[in-house]
Amino acid sequence: MSLMQPRHSVRRASSRSVGATLKAIDSMQKQALTRRQALQVGAVGGLTLPHLLQLQQTCASESAKRDVNCIFLFMLGGMPHQDMWDLKPDAPAEIRGDFEPIDTAVPGIQIGDVLPKTSRVTDKFSILRSLTHTDSDHGRGFHVMMTGKKAGVGDFNGNQNNNQHPCLGSVVANLAEPGALPPYISVPNFLNSGGPSFLGASRGPFVIEADPAAPDFAVRDIDLPIGVNDVRGGRRREALRKINALEQKVERVGKQVRSLDAFYEKAYDLMTSKAAKEAFDIARESDEVREEYGMTSIGQCCLLARRMVAAGCRFVSIENGHWDTHRKNTYSLRELLCPSFDQAIPALLNDLEQRGLLGSTLLVVTTEFGRTPRINELDGRDHWPNAFSILMAGGGVKAGQVIGATDKQAASVADRPITPEDMCATILHVLGIDHQKILHTPLDRPVPLVDGGKVITELI
Amino acid sequence: MPRRFTLAFLVSALQVAILSADDTPIRALRVSPDQIRLTGSNRRQQILVTAESVDGKQFDLTDRAQAELAEPSLATFNEGILRRLRDGQTELIVRHGSLEARVPVVVADADRFPPVHFENDIVPLFSKLRCNGSGCHGKQSGQNGFRLSIFGHNPRADFRALVQEGRGRRIFPAAPDRSLLLLKAVGLMPHGGGRRAEPNSMDAKLIREWIAQGSSWGSDDATRLTRIEIEPAERLMGTQANQRILVTAVFSDGGRRDVTHAASYGTNDDLIAEVDERGHIATGSRLGEAAITVNYMGHVGAIRIVVPRPTAGNDPPEFIAYNPIDDHVRTKLRKLGVEPSNLCDDATFFRRLYLDTIGTLPTLEEATSFANNPAPNKRIQAIEDVLDRDEFADYWALRWSDVLLVNSANLGERGAFEFHRWLRQQVASNRPYDQWVRELLTATGNSGKYGPVNFYRAMRTPQDVTKTVSQAFLGIRLDCAQCHHHPFEKWGQDDFYGLAGYFTGVQRKKLAGNREFIFASSYSPAKMPVTNEPIPTRPLDGEPLEHIEGDPRVHLADWLTARENPWFAKLVANRLWKHYMGRGLVEPEDDLRSTNPATNEPLLNYLTEQVVESGYDLRAVMGLILTSRVYQLSSETNGTSFDDEQNFSHHLVKRLPAEVLLDAISQATGSPEHFAGAAHGTRSIELWDNRLPSYFLDTFGRSERESPCECAKSSDPTMAQALHLLNAPEIDAKIASPEGRIAALISRGASQDEITADLCFAALARHASEKERTIAAELFAQSNQRQAAEDFLWTLLNSYEFLFIH
Repeated sequence: MSLMQPRHSVRRASSRSVGATLKAIDSMQKQALTRRQALQVGAVGGLTLPHLLQLQQTCASESAKRDVNCIFLFMLGGMPHQDMWDLKPDAPAEIRGDFEPIDTAVPGIQIGDVLPKTSRVTDKFSILRSLTHTDSDHGRGFHVMMTGKKAGVGDFNGNQNNNQHPCLGSVVANLAEPGALPPYISVPNFLNSGGPSFLGASRGPFVIEADPAAPDFAVRDIDLPIGVNDVRGGRRREALRKINALEQKVERVGKQVRSLDAFYEKAYDLMTSKAAKEAFDIARESDEVREEYGMTSIGQCCLLARRMVAAGCRFVSIENGHWDTHRKNTYSLRELLCPSFDQAIPALLNDLEQRGLLGSTLLVVTTEFGRTPRINELDGRDHWPNAFSILMAGGGVKAGQVIGATDKQAASVADRPITPEDMCATILHVLGIDHQKILHTPLDRPVPLVDGGKVITELI
Repeated sequence: MPRRFTLAFLVSALQVAILSADDTPIRALRVSPDQIRLTGSNRRQQILVTAESVDGKQFDLTDRAQAELAEPSLATFNEGILRRLRDGQTELIVRHGSLEARVPVVVADADRFPPVHFENDIVPLFSKLRCNGSGCHGKQSGQNGFRLSIFGHNPRADFRALVQEGRGRRIFPAAPDRSLLLLKAVGLMPHGGGRRAEPNSMDAKLIREWIAQGSSWGSDDATRLTRIEIEPAERLMGTQANQRILVTAVFSDGGRRDVTHAASYGTNDDLIAEVDERGHIATGSRLGEAAITVNYMGHVGAIRIVVPRPTAGNDPPEFIAYNPIDDHVRTKLRKLGVEPSNLCDDATFFRRLYLDTIGTLPTLEEATSFANNPAPNKRIQAIEDVLDRDEFADYWALRWSDVLLVNSANLGERGAFEFHRWLRQQVASNRPYDQWVRELLTATGNSGKYGPVNFYRAMRTPQDVTKTVSQAFLGIRLDCAQCHHHPFEKWGQDDFYGLAGYFTGVQRKKLAGNREFIFASSYSPAKMPVTNEPIPTRPLDGEPLEHIEGDPRVHLADWLTARENPWFAKLVANRLWKHYMGRGLVEPEDDLRSTNPATNEPLLNYLTEQVVESGYDLRAVMGLILTSRVYQLSSETNGTSFDDEQNFSHHLVKRLPAEVLLDAISQATGSPEHFAGAAHGTRSIELWDNRLPSYFLDTFGRSERESPCECAKSSDPTMAQALHLLNAPEIDAKIASPEGRIAALISRGASQDEITADLCFAALARHASEKERTIAAELFAQSNQRQAAEDFLWTLLNSYEFLFIH
């Protein structure tokens, strides 16, 4: 499993700072005032024990890094929270909708009857029922949920670079050590607002632009083109090596050439890495396992994601589409969306657990917003960022609980509001990254990785 | 040089050989400032002792010269800093060997701490100690309940925060030493930001004294800071050498104060020279030039540090200037001791010229004809030809569309199409740059019929238009100043909203079919956020408009495109230089500011003049650059230039931009790209719609056109690019296309030699070398002719020579 460079340095730095802190405490004990004593004026004394412990804890939490990877599932379009995770059976019919709450593996936690298999594994994840933000546009919703930064002006639908702030995956890639697999992979396509912004193209996702559920699934460009066998591929590579050797030495022709040269090496490594090739080769899974996840896009993406994090990928983002149920919400959920979801998520959780990977894999099931409380005249629900639900599991986060609550109509947050910034801060924290770390934009403006987010302590 | 900076300059009668560090005899010692006045108990004076060698070189002797006061009881002198002891008059005597310099010294009010003024004294301290940065108390939400305005842009609010908020507990007038402000700053109480100042430092004393004096705002008629003076302005230095800085604040009453210790410093290249918080510059082991930036209370300046090769000043080998560009570059290279490369060969020049100017690979016919042309001035002929080509308009319409955000996602397809078409017309007719920018800025009309009005559609508020106009046409990044004073420039919020006033009247009326009618009406000045105070509309560094008649944008266009505008022509000159030379004279190319000086200021000034003198004829300026010797240098470096990246001693290699690379692959393989929704045979550089689906263009980094900042377009390499070039079935299909180049060669029965030569010309625009023919021959020996030809072309398309402009 790959270790991240900064972790070592963070650990070193904070062990220094522990030493420095203790020294400082020592000198403070000799001469300093505590804040309260200072306010009382006059009293001179040492630091209190609780204070000392608090200081030590602060230092300790900075160095408590685990080796956790992330599978980040994005339900594109807006997942209806009130029909799946936050049912309101006592609300009027036009609000509560057609789904009934059912009991789950955790006494007291109920979810929608459209998720029977998921109901048996609620002990493995936490439901966050009080997400809230203010952007009801898809593009802007992606941006804030993918990057932890509210979108400024511009268009965010289909923008490869979301040039306002790097997304979580790019932040992870920026700190990752080289491994057999790219550190940030997106499947089955580029996920909106999943770009690197000012961190530069090399921190963007490696996009697997293919659906692993398709019979002819293959990761593009990692194999020689059809018609070029290995022998011929070897001839080409040898000829290329000789041609480039005719040029003056690479180190004398400029940074850009050196840099592309390095990526050619990485590309060759990936093409020839058995571990990487095997990780991408979903056909190596037995039919039984593949069926367990479901032969659907979300099912096979989850299975592929498990293979990739097991092989060292740090961050896999998965897009699952068609959740924008402006029409026929009940039909869409019951017939089209939830069955495959309900097959895939429990399968992934069980599989990760059985393989001993759950502790080192953070699973996030998220979306750009929830849906309107009232069902519209097309039997659908519209965009609703005021209150919605997401799931978090694995990676050492606490499971089997509900965090936050909404009002009687699941319309606004009644308890413990959680912002997208909080979500992003928590994800980075679990992945061992200081979410307050400062990045510098091309304008040299210092911006924190996540602005103003707080780690959701109930999960830690 | 200001009067006060005429240095004490005393030449020894004996021109004795006193050896400097590098064994050069010194002929003079100079001490700055030339007179010293210390008024008040906290004042200090940094001294600079500069030696001048017999060959005219200057270097810092502050740490090595001996210095003493004629009357030692008046002040102490330590590490180059004079601190008061008691009142009186004396002289500072500086000696090095037999050389001597004397500076008069006056000490007054030595026992009295001068009145502390919150805005002049305390706020700069917050900046220096970095209390008010965006990572700490300067961020919008403050830090742990204590909030300061970012970079101290709002001293009144900072005063309130300290003195009135927090139930007054931050300041404890009865016992200044026990004020939270002081205890936290010096780390005697737990502070998230750690210890910012030593308990006995001048900084701590200043805070203590301010509180002791009653923590007041200070006198309202206190003098104001008018400017700063920085010494030295420029210095040639050796490697591993040191240099001190002297920063002097000049106040409205003419008073002067040493603020070296209170200013903040930065470097634009810390491998060449770094600077610490005391203002000590240290060069590293690298040669070249760095700019040290100085900032005190929003007043900024830069010091240029040049670290030349020891051979500097020697005449470079044969380097015949073709035009004044070459003279400017040669002067700089000579100063640095870097030798320019030789001219590149004809084939390299020709391919470079085509790719840079028209984004197009030369065809086999064009390349052959140029190779066989015996005319001695054939390069000039080729430059004239290429500037006249249709592809010139395609390519430069594409580049301007990137800068001006012609984005179909924001403008709709019709809007993007019309805007692009209009830009292409401006380029094709070579309309003067100032004229088309003026038309763009003052455009009124229907976005579906009249292209330039679309400029006002992507940016929908006066603030956004202000940011884009200042960045795209002036190279000034005003973004910062929307919310606070620019951290390393002179721009503040009044500059931002002064400019925004020109756009407050821009109206956008919805029309059918995702179109809008753009017009200007109802002018009113822009208002400052929070206070809602109207800000007089005015150009940057200019006077407020007396009264506005009609469309205020006309006034803006007058100012922006005027010959006297110091940024407008300079930015476009720098853009063109960057485009052709691979690196701007200022980098980033669209970030012109005094703290980011050009690597060759005379050259940038010359190019700027040429833009203006030519009547803003950008094609003429391009011709000037292309016909320079510097443009035509080889990319191969020599023993003196291998690490030079900023002085144009050799041609900088650049990767083909995404669109150009895709077209080049299509052309070399003889198999055009098909874009969904575009006419058959449309080339990538002709596309007006930046959102047409294309894995290739996305992967190789076409511009997103969401931000005018050139940083939005990324030409960084990625692994996906390498994989795509190596393995993409799309590229393989082009190579093996039945309509493609190889199929045609084989069907007409071309020989192995002919195929090798043809493919080499098609991809690299030159004859195959002996070794390349050998490599091809090996491929032909190992498989059938078609496969071997495909493998050879694949090899060429993946070669660095193909992927880069050399």
